[in-house]
Amino acid sequence: MSEDLTRRTVLAALAGGAVFLVKKANGQIVWQVNAARCINSRLGDTGVEACNLCTTECVVALSAVRAVNEYSKCGRCNICPAYFNISSAVNELGQPGEKLCPRDAIARKPIGKVDPEDPANNFYEYIIDEEKCDGCGKCVLKCKEPLGLGSITLRVRYDRCVNCNRCSISRACPQNALMQLPIGQAL
Amino acid sequence: MQYRHVQAIDGKGAVHGIALDGNGQLYAAGDSGIEVFDAAGRFNRRWPTSKPALAVAVASDGAVYAGEAGQIEIFDGTGKPIATWRDQKLLGRVTAIGFTGDSVLAGDAADRAIRRFDRSGKFLNNIGKDNPVNGLLIPNGVVDFGVDAQGIVYAANPGKHRVERYTPGGELLGHIGRFDGVDPAGFTGCCNPTNVAIRDGIYTTEKAGPRVKAYDFSGKLLAVIATDLFDANCKNMSIAVDARGRVYVVDTVKAAILIFERVNA
Repeated sequence: MSEDLTRRTVLAALAGGAVFLVKKANGQIVWQVNAARCINSRLGDTGVEACNLCTTECVVALSAVRAVNEYSKCGRCNICPAYFNISSAVNELGQPGEKLCPRDAIARKPIGKVDPEDPANNFYEYIIDEEKCDGCGKCVLKCKEPLGLGSITLRVRYDRCVNCNRCSISRACPQNALMQLPIGQAL
Repeated sequence: MQYRHVQAIDGKGAVHGIALDGNGQLYAAGDSGIEVFDAAGRFNRRWPTSKPALAVAVASDGAVYAGEAGQIEIFDGTGKPIATWRDQKLLGRVTAIGFTGDSVLAGDAADRAIRRFDRSGKFLNNIGKDNPVNGLLIPNGVVDFGVDAQGIVYAANPGKHRVERYTPGGELLGHIGRFDGVDPAGFTGCCNPTNVAIRDGIYTTEKAGPRVKAYDFSGKLLAVIATDLFDANCKNMSIAVDARGRVYVVDTVKAAILIFERVNA
């Protein structure tokens, strides 16, 4: 009896592993960043430094993780804390003199009705260049509420991710923020 | 000028807006209705509103106006309902209420405008809507304003890091404020100040990190009233100032009202 159970258990485990491998081969199970766990985007944590393990631990050159701006949540602010280093000295335009992104991966342009005389009257669109972004998380942290609206989060990009069995970022992440999901839920 | 923290009033739940009446009684608008505290900060009474109250104001005749989603409810001083103004278009999300002359002003965050009504509820005009280009920029989701003794409306325009002055008819007269992440005289972050109150000067609150300040009417910073006493996650902290110059500010995370008074005032 116990021998049967043991054999059944082993067979079930093998079958489960086979199903996982088939699903993975079909691209159905993927790694994704859980924004509710990631320290850069998780609400309630203030005064923390940006975590850049997604940049440093990924086996892919420049990382498979990117900062993604969800435009429907973005406030389109004149002074975006994810674009500007808001702690830097103000320049002659009345804006922070420094940008935040170390790779200059975010572009800013006025949208909608534009006031050419007073830039503060305008809405702005912030576009992340994924060829430059390495997922360092600095902009994500500054976009988090209450400073921002939380429109920028880190996402695994599947055209870059090699879908390791054990993602090296997940092994390093102290927040356990990398998780495997069916691809339909992960997008 | 310096201030000190002298008292904290714990609410019974979320506090979205506060106001003072002529007798120094404090009114707090929350999810379950209106709470009233006496001038010493002691709980006095409460009554329910039909929807979560996002703002409160007390008229000179003692009528209490509660701003809500899609409507304004009007009560007498005991909480007895007098009237309800319903208008999904003009009162989409009422986050501030005030008075100028015989007019009632309502900040509608859903449409980023201040509405002006007569006392019967008839709409008169907008203030701050599309003026001069995109109007009130409120990524924080709240329209807030104060009114001075001459009836001039001071509207927080956080996306521009300004407090703008308007006539009751909606003419933009000017502004105070500028962005600055280093100099405390400026407003920092993406969008500050979020809330404003008017008495003998202009009083403001900011988010991330929470900060309360006082300016004169020319825009000169008079005092940083408080910073580190609030939960760091606070935002849209309603503010009121009484006739003695005491400043009341909501800690939106702790659901408390902190009171500050001038040192050697």
